[in-house]
Amino acid sequence: MYLEVKNLVKFFDSKYPIIKDLSFSVKKGELISFLGESGSGKTTFLKCISGLEKINSGTITLNSKYLNKNNIFVKPQERKIGFVFQDYPLFPHLNLEENITFNLEKKYYSKLEYILKLTGLKYFLKRFPHELSGGEQQRACIARALIREPELLLLDEPFSNLDSTIKESMKEEIFKIVKETNTTTILVTHDINDAMNISDKILIFKAGILQQYDNPVKMYCEPANCYCAEILGDMNKLFIGNETYYVRPENIKHVNKKSNYKVSVEKCFFQGKEYRIKGRFDNEIWHFFSKKPISEKKHVYVDFAKKDLIYFDPVCKNFFK
Amino acid sequence: MEIIHRFFAIENKRWVFGSVIFAIILLAPVIILIINFFSGTTDTLLYLLDNLLFDYTLNTLYLILITSITALFLGIIPAWIISNYTFLGRNFFDIVLYLPLAIPSYIMGFTYIDILSYTGPIQSFFRERSPFFAEIINRDYLQVEILGILLGLALYPYIYTASRISFSLIGSNYINISRNLGLSKIQTFFKVILPLSRPAIFSGLFLVIMEVLNEYGAVKYFGVNTFTIGIFRSWNSFGDVNGAIQLACILLLVVLCFFAIDRFSMSKSKFYYQKNTQLNKVKGLGGSRALMVILICSIPFLFGFLIPFSFILNNTIESFAITNFDKLFRLTNNTIYVSSLSSIIIIFIALFFLFVERISNSKINSYVSSLISLGYALPGAIIGLGVILLFSNSSLLGTFYVLIFAYLIRFLAVAKSPIKSSIDKHPITIDDTGRNLGLNPLNLLRRLHLPINKFALISAFVVTFIDVMKELPITLILSPFNFDTLATQTYQFAIEEMIPLSAIYSLVIITLGSLMLLILRSFIDKQINVS
Repeated sequence: MYLEVKNLVKFFDSKYPIIKDLSFSVKKGELISFLGESGSGKTTFLKCISGLEKINSGTITLNSKYLNKNNIFVKPQERKIGFVFQDYPLFPHLNLEENITFNLEKKYYSKLEYILKLTGLKYFLKRFPHELSGGEQQRACIARALIREPELLLLDEPFSNLDSTIKESMKEEIFKIVKETNTTTILVTHDINDAMNISDKILIFKAGILQQYDNPVKMYCEPANCYCAEILGDMNKLFIGNETYYVRPENIKHVNKKSNYKVSVEKCFFQGKEYRIKGRFDNEIWHFFSKKPISEKKHVYVDFAKKDLIYFDPVCKNFFK
Repeated sequence: MEIIHRFFAIENKRWVFGSVIFAIILLAPVIILIINFFSGTTDTLLYLLDNLLFDYTLNTLYLILITSITALFLGIIPAWIISNYTFLGRNFFDIVLYLPLAIPSYIMGFTYIDILSYTGPIQSFFRERSPFFAEIINRDYLQVEILGILLGLALYPYIYTASRISFSLIGSNYINISRNLGLSKIQTFFKVILPLSRPAIFSGLFLVIMEVLNEYGAVKYFGVNTFTIGIFRSWNSFGDVNGAIQLACILLLVVLCFFAIDRFSMSKSKFYYQKNTQLNKVKGLGGSRALMVILICSIPFLFGFLIPFSFILNNTIESFAITNFDKLFRLTNNTIYVSSLSSIIIIFIALFFLFVERISNSKINSYVSSLISLGYALPGAIIGLGVILLFSNSSLLGTFYVLIFAYLIRFLAVAKSPIKSSIDKHPITIDDTGRNLGLNPLNLLRRLHLPINKFALISAFVVTFIDVMKELPITLILSPFNFDTLATQTYQFAIEEMIPLSAIYSLVIITLGSLMLLILRSFIDKQINVS
């Protein structure tokens, strides 16, 4: 494995560890998303990988070299890891070119043109950070990290400060850049769509523990627990016999004939190509989609395939509450 | 186990260790003073308690009270007007209301007493035109109340600056809401704006109080027996070092009380209000109201700067023929040399402490940083005495090194303030990025923090330079033999009742100070524009 994290523990106060025990591995060139809520320790995790925070125990291996193991601690300036921070910290006293080539070894200077072309920053070289837009600043940070040919690229919430129109194009660009340069990348995000769109694998992190680590499709269709299921999208709850099951809204179909599932419509939201319907079944709130609008207080029949039912252990639902 | 774990978790230990050692060296004079307090005899202390302490305490507190009230009035009202209204001369007043900072308070005292004296322009004018009125105003003006007002005139810019920034940052939402809830403009000011600005005003007032406690030249001239005077008197006049130490320690206790009150009030009134969201629109004023606000803004400038400056200028012109220019140039040179050298050393040490605080994840450095900032609250007399005790057996005493060391203790906090606010403006990810791009701590300091905080370093240099140039007690106590500065010469002439002869020295101090303040202002504008 290219990046291997084993039994990583990190705390600032030993009573409240931020990372309790984290183990996972990444292959060369893979883009993985690290998904978790705000304040769950995602940025701390990235800082541990990059050496900006010391870990309390565990090992980190990158490209067959130990970065952290017992007494081994490779200083952050000696790890070949590129880090793009959430707030695009370009040095304010340097122009774009100086920022990208800051403390750069001579052997990498020949790559400048390629990186500038890749990130579309060719015409902004002499501009200072305050003369660049948010998207340009972010691409500059990515260019600064990539020009050094990092063995690992860490992206900390790179889309959180962007508006929705630029966000989509940035996502595509980042995906294109890291795949073209075959750079192993960890993307930290709290936005499930970001993770689903461009990741080879998703790692869900909660309460200091890895909850699930898999490819997006498997993650969505076979969530390991309620938390993973809910974080990846809405779930509709239903009881069959004494067991509790869940079904995704997109797997529910509005049917014209009578079925076992009669939903009382409470709200109908227009979403462009379809309508999102909020209703009540068996005292539980359900969501599903419809091509046509449905009036409020109307009763409609819905159905789904049995294979789309998801089952969890009964204690799971209350675990995180 | 937890302690060991915490020790190993400290990052950049060499830097942290270095800063702690450095802080101990800086605090050594105060530590020595306290040790001497406990090892000295109690006779002097008992004598002080029975005879002088009550008098010193009362005079000091009374002087603080009058100065504070004057400075609050002269600082807050113009700050509110300039932050909220446009009128003819607003920009002019916004610049010149800082200028009294360039006039040392002892020069303010000497000058006004000369203006108000029997031979001064006011009494001479009325003796010719209205002998009856001249008789009424023929008074002894060397009173503690007059001194308090004059110190207020010299020190109000501390409160003006703090209030001006605070009033400008408070968004209009708060004003609109309170108006919407039925408060008049005046009620809004007293019930919303003033309480919101209380931390800023308090920090300005704290500086004013510390300056009053530090004041030596003017209080000596006015014959008001404060703690600082007591220390000098015990030491110089009575040769009683033990008494001076004990008084210095009592003053230290008073200072710590004020310091604790300041910290307590700050912690109780930290308002995390939203700043800069929607600034209050500056409204135009015309007619009689404009005239009134011009008058209000003119008073502090007129009495705090223009009148004393004009009078000193006039005295300078009159005594021009008998001025010893060789001496003037020598003293100006001495002043610029010692102030520049000290300020450069002070700003780099301030940057060092702030940088270590920034790169260290340990709380030790924030405690160290707070402790060394206490130096600004210590009157020069205490620092001077502590430094003499520390170096009493060393050949360094009476050299520039010791003088600069004392300035360092006293003015480190002054230099830290603008550098800290600049460093705090940059997100911590700037440092993380630097480290991630291969910089070790030294290069992080050299290649990132020096250039990105350069305007703040220049601002810090300017404010430190002005303060060192004006400083009297430390310079009087610790100057090398036969080394005078503009401040000590002004004081010597004034104390020997030769005010006109001191004028040109005062003028040079004020001109240098004013120029520096104007430079500072342009740098602040630049910083604002860059950010």
